[in-house]
Amino acid sequence: MNPIGAASAAAAALAAAGGLLGAALPGRARVLASGACTAALGAAGLAAGTAALRGGHWTASAPALLPLSGAHLAVDALSGLFMAVAGGVVLAVAVYGIGYAAGHGPHGTGSRTAQGTWPVFALTLLLVPAAASVSTFLLLWELMALTSLVLVLARHRGGGPAQRAAVRAAGLWYGVMTHFAFVLLLAGTGLFAAGAGGETFTALRAGAHALSPGTRGVVFVLAALAFATKAGAVPLHPWLPRAHPEAPSAVSALMSAAMVNLGVYGIVRLGFDLLGGGPRWWWLLVLGLGALSAVHGILQAAMASDLKRLLAYSTSENLGLALIGVGAAGLLADAGNRAPAALALAAALLHIVNHAAFKALLFCAAGSVLRATGLRDLDRMGGLRARMPATCAFFALAALGAVALPPGNGFLGEWLLLQSLVHGLAVPGVVTALVLPLAVAAIALSAGLAAAVFVKALGVAFFARPRSAPAGAAVESPPSMLAGMGLLAAACAALALVPGLLGDGLSRAVAAAGAGDGPPLAGGALTVRLDRLAAAMSPLWVACALAAAVAAVAVPARLLARRRRRGNARLWDCGGGAPTARMSYTATSFAEPLQRVFDDVLAPQQDVDVTPVRESAYLVERVRFRRSVPDRVEHRLYRPLLTAVSGVATAARHLATGSLHLYLGYGFFGLVALLLALAVQR
Amino acid sequence: MGDTLYTQLLDLACGAFLLAAVVVLWLRQLASIVRVFALQGVALAAVAALLGAHEGRWELLAVAVGIALLRAGLLPHLVRRALSAPAWPAHPGHHYEEDVSEARETRPLVNVAASLLSAALLTLLSYAVARPLVELNPTPATRALPVGLAVVLTGFFTLVTRRRALAQVVGFLLMDNGITAVAFLAASGVPLIVELGVSFDVLLAVLVLRILTTRMRAAFGGTGIDDLRELREW
Repeated sequence: MNPIGAASAAAAALAAAGGLLGAALPGRARVLASGACTAALGAAGLAAGTAALRGGHWTASAPALLPLSGAHLAVDALSGLFMAVAGGVVLAVAVYGIGYAAGHGPHGTGSRTAQGTWPVFALTLLLVPAAASVSTFLLLWELMALTSLVLVLARHRGGGPAQRAAVRAAGLWYGVMTHFAFVLLLAGTGLFAAGAGGETFTALRAGAHALSPGTRGVVFVLAALAFATKAGAVPLHPWLPRAHPEAPSAVSALMSAAMVNLGVYGIVRLGFDLLGGGPRWWWLLVLGLGALSAVHGILQAAMASDLKRLLAYSTSENLGLALIGVGAAGLLADAGNRAPAALALAAALLHIVNHAAFKALLFCAAGSVLRATGLRDLDRMGGLRARMPATCAFFALAALGAVALPPGNGFLGEWLLLQSLVHGLAVPGVVTALVLPLAVAAIALSAGLAAAVFVKALGVAFFARPRSAPAGAAVESPPSMLAGMGLLAAACAALALVPGLLGDGLSRAVAAAGAGDGPPLAGGALTVRLDRLAAAMSPLWVACALAAAVAAVAVPARLLARRRRRGNARLWDCGGGAPTARMSYTATSFAEPLQRVFDDVLAPQQDVDVTPVRESAYLVERVRFRRSVPDRVEHRLYRPLLTAVSGVATAARHLATGSLHLYLGYGFFGLVALLLALAVQR
Repeated sequence: MGDTLYTQLLDLACGAFLLAAVVVLWLRQLASIVRVFALQGVALAAVAALLGAHEGRWELLAVAVGIALLRAGLLPHLVRRALSAPAWPAHPGHHYEEDVSEARETRPLVNVAASLLSAALLTLLSYAVARPLVELNPTPATRALPVGLAVVLTGFFTLVTRRRALAQVVGFLLMDNGITAVAFLAASGVPLIVELGVSFDVLLAVLVLRILTTRMRAAFGGTGIDDLRELREW
């Protein structure tokens, strides 16, 4: 039997078993059984994805499984890449989740509902990329949305009123936006299937060129907007910074590292593979969405002081970078320059892989902090390095990946992306000459800001002294959480040092998408060479060189310092008393200079409220200073929209006066009007 | 049975069927309305029996007997029982005086003359709408198809314009009679099992409505549907 098929079947069986056990078993056994099944399921997905990346193919169809259409699955290298990413993340996060859920009692994360849904959600993450017909894809896509919604709502039970309200709002935003996207997707794919004369992907591929350009454009725009919503692209992102912080951290990790990727998968699969590429404006749309997300996401992350909200905005940024790659690939392929096109797509896919590894680790570490301190507010953390050394190390490793500097694992993807954009400049045309440099600028800006963001997250949360009692009382996480994070850390390190191992798989995935010619990358364990462009990179040597340079500077410094022993003395405090923890940098104060720089873009709201002592203008009793940086896109775009919708809804109430006769009358007159129309029309 | 006789009898039964629906709109006494409804049940059973006899499908006769028992016997009986049930005192100690108008449909939303006119228009409409269906296969049975449709529309009209809950129950049952008639005339009889299922459904609906009516009387002292307006959410 085909190894991919066997692994997929095993994953499905494990999901069924895990779901049943998670819903049936009591207490701790439930968490253990569900988590173990999910971890095994992830391993199966990783195996299936790896086999597909090595060149395997698998197709299966079960005509009787779904009414009318049947279920169709097919795995090629492109599906395999996303299956492998999802499988790897599921494996590590499930191991992490066992310890995480066990610390939360029988409600919330450890409840029957959450533990029963968990394996099913994991399975849908694996199977969505394997779907090979419109109805199978939509079914799995919707199942993924519903199960993740249930998991986002898991913390509703057993929380305080404020938490319940926040979870409810997050669930509402997520549910509404994801279903808005589903409606778009349904319309787009339905139009496509109707025009192509079949709903399996094979039929769509065959029938795509028979569609008129207008129809193709409508299909692409509808589906791309739907997929961009799932990917958290600005301006369709508001669900993301709400749902990720409120969901249990293991769920956030899975959503942020595996689920949002499928938005990019959808655009690649539909745009390149099924529609066979398209005109320039499609890809400009994708590229524009990506650039906007990258800059807006990282700016908001720089302003956020909620750790998980920061990570969520960073997800928006990274998916934006991947979308830039996809858009650039389409643009270059349309211009006929297929070698950089393939490279841009490979860069986008590589960035997805890297992002999955470090973002899952970041969310897991944030979950550890949350579990140990109950805090998400960076301003109240601090001093966790001494109390949670392993978590701190993991967070630092992942943050290194996120800042896209060597030797972190995020570096190579962005380097490749920049390479492809710079080489793409050779393509003639005003649009490319204008757009590609702007995209390069957006990437550079977001990379620079990302450095500030993660310095802030790491430094403020883990270094200095604790700024609140819970942060001072933190203890290290249990072994299973550390084991899960360890797996992710190993993946991050491997991706950072020997990314060349992925080269052939990436080339196959790009070839499966049909975006460009020839393998864009080649490489062994040590070097990544760009086949069509004269460039090469050896991350391992870069890392070694960096390590050597650091050692060259640090070792003599240490030696010198040891020679002159320092005496312990009290710090000179200008007579002001010993410095307290409240004087140290907080996330807000760290971000303040950046906020000044981007004042016009961010439009922060400041509010100073001075209460003087009675009958005196000079003596002040209290000064209250409040500042918030609202998400401007959300503020300007969604607030008016929501007001309009609720206005229409209020007006519509006058249709429902409470009179039964009126309600019956609506039905009656509707029926009579319909019949009249029928009678007249004949 | 000769074709002419069959056609004439079928037309007679369908005429009685339609007439009963119109008379329901005309009458005001709820007791008389129920009586007319029972007569309509007999007419429907006659349609079924005629179809069965003409086509030699004897199981249709069993269906006809079932229809007669249910629609001319059981359902009118249940509605009548609800009509004559003594009103429950709303609260102990609060003695509720029998509302005289409860037995009458005193003020329908559309008066009787306009109702009869509307029934005529609705019948015209159903003839116009059903024309393409009749042209498909013009047999005596299909020719009578618009009658069933007209009864459905008249029943719906009753449901919309009458205030008393029991008058509305009768309107609902008229609609169901009409649907059954359309099924018979268009498909020359439905299988026994389908008819059984539909009848059982209707029976349950009437039982539920009867309980609701009694409860409404207990709670509000009457079954005027307008009283329910206060139940809305805002």
